[in-house]
Amino acid sequence: MQSSTKRMGVMTDVHRRFLQLLMTHGVLEEWDVKRLQRHCYKVHDRNATVDKLEDFINNINSVLESLYIEIKRGVTEDDGRPIYALVNLATTSVSKMATDFAENELDLFRKALELIIDSETGFASSTNILNLVDQLKGKKMKKKEAEQVLQKFVQNKWLIEKEGEFTLHGRAILEMEQYIRETYPDAVKTCNICHSLLIQGQSCETCGIRMHLPCVAKYFQSNAEPRCPHCNDYWPHEIPEVFDPEKERESGISKPNKKPLRSRQR
Amino acid sequence: ACPPAPNSNLTLSPISVHAMDREWMSMSSGSLGRLGMRGQGPPGPAPPAPAQLVQKAHELMWYVLVKDQKKMIIWFPDMVKDVIGSYKKWCRSILRRTSLILARVFGLHLRLTSLHTMEFALVKALEPEELDRVALSNRMPMTGLLLMILSLIYVKGRGARESAVWNVLRILGLRPWKKHSTFGDVRKLITEEFVQQNYLKYQRVPYVEPPEYEFFWGSRASREITKLQIMEFLARVFKKDPQAWPSRYREALEEARALREANPTAHCARSSVSED
Repeated sequence: MQSSTKRMGVMTDVHRRFLQLLMTHGVLEEWDVKRLQRHCYKVHDRNATVDKLEDFINNINSVLESLYIEIKRGVTEDDGRPIYALVNLATTSVSKMATDFAENELDLFRKALELIIDSETGFASSTNILNLVDQLKGKKMKKKEAEQVLQKFVQNKWLIEKEGEFTLHGRAILEMEQYIRETYPDAVKTCNICHSLLIQGQSCETCGIRMHLPCVAKYFQSNAEPRCPHCNDYWPHEIPEVFDPEKERESGISKPNKKPLRSRQR
Repeated sequence: ACPPAPNSNLTLSPISVHAMDREWMSMSSGSLGRLGMRGQGPPGPAPPAPAQLVQKAHELMWYVLVKDQKKMIIWFPDMVKDVIGSYKKWCRSILRRTSLILARVFGLHLRLTSLHTMEFALVKALEPEELDRVALSNRMPMTGLLLMILSLIYVKGRGARESAVWNVLRILGLRPWKKHSTFGDVRKLITEEFVQQNYLKYQRVPYVEPPEYEFFWGSRASREITKLQIMEFLARVFKKDPQAWPSRYREALEEARALREANPTAHCARSSVSED
């Protein structure tokens, strides 16, 4: 293993092109990432055996470590799809997005973020967010304008909208988990199974512990009588199915939940 | 001199640093100098610790990557305002390090594309291959739309009138007044957003009343997309051989040859993956 400061890992054009394209797309689902990896090998090193994705990414991450960036893998909270994004670990504030949002827009995001974190369901209603428009820093923003800014956040994959309510996009969770845990240590919820940040999930009615939907799916897989891992009480919610990429591709139909992740590429 | 072999490991060889240095030295006396970054300014405060300059270089690297990802203009005054700040005096060394990292890790060149507008661009430094987006083409409807318009302009050999563009888009079910489920407001997209991103130019046709507008390739399209890629796109979409457009195909081959000659990197010895 290389020592980190003076020397970096092995980087070839395969890895460089992969990084370029991953950065271009912002966030990608695992299947697309594998396709991307194969494409990069095809372009630069046809005869080589394609590395296992995990090793491939770990190799790149060892190079990126000294630059304080990382290819992070996460899982969408609603349907358990693995996603990847190149994230910046150094700047931990919302100013990550500062390159194309104005001061009042960033503040709107912060307000929405707070409402989402404080909420029981992980969703904040459009109405509640818009009611905070008067409290924003920077230039005065009308509600009409704020609605459009919220749509901009959706298009840029920071928020997901479902029936007039907003929650965090998987990409935002990947990028901002550290920031969120540091900034809202009391309000933040975590999953009892994977211990990561939890925005959406299911909770035990008795003892209150929470679990991500994909974590619930895995934990209670083929369990006829699901019980809370903490207090052993009956688990009252519907158990979702474990995400199966093979099944998904065979059906060829895009799932309704997929829509936010496939919103307009910019 | 041949730029650093792309497959080499990442220790900075003296030759490559020197080559980079030379490029930047020549820039600084000229363009960067005019950007307000003179070589040796009047003696001022002591230089910051090297670690701080390195950190600034990393911040600038990320800043440039995100700007490029969002297809926004990378503007030097913004770089200074948003990232470099009080370290402006050490701008050159920060920029140099950022460029080096971008080249080594991402295979991208940070190039000053217009001194006049003080714009930078991230240009791919890897051997040009088929359009990368083809690899994920079924997820990139936006590119298809843009390529459609660029192809139309290319085949016409001059600007494409807005009416002609809409005739083609109508075939795809896109109308100027209808909102589309994926593209949204298509007219806004092609007359404003693609134009802002420098992929298209949208200009009034002179001496025509009532006013009409036409589309041209934007500077960014000319930089990022080759004529051969357009021919491949046309061939795919219309299920024809590129030779069905003989003069255009010839032009595309000419351009490809000229690009290969101008980019000897492609032919530099590409050593196999070297272990450190």
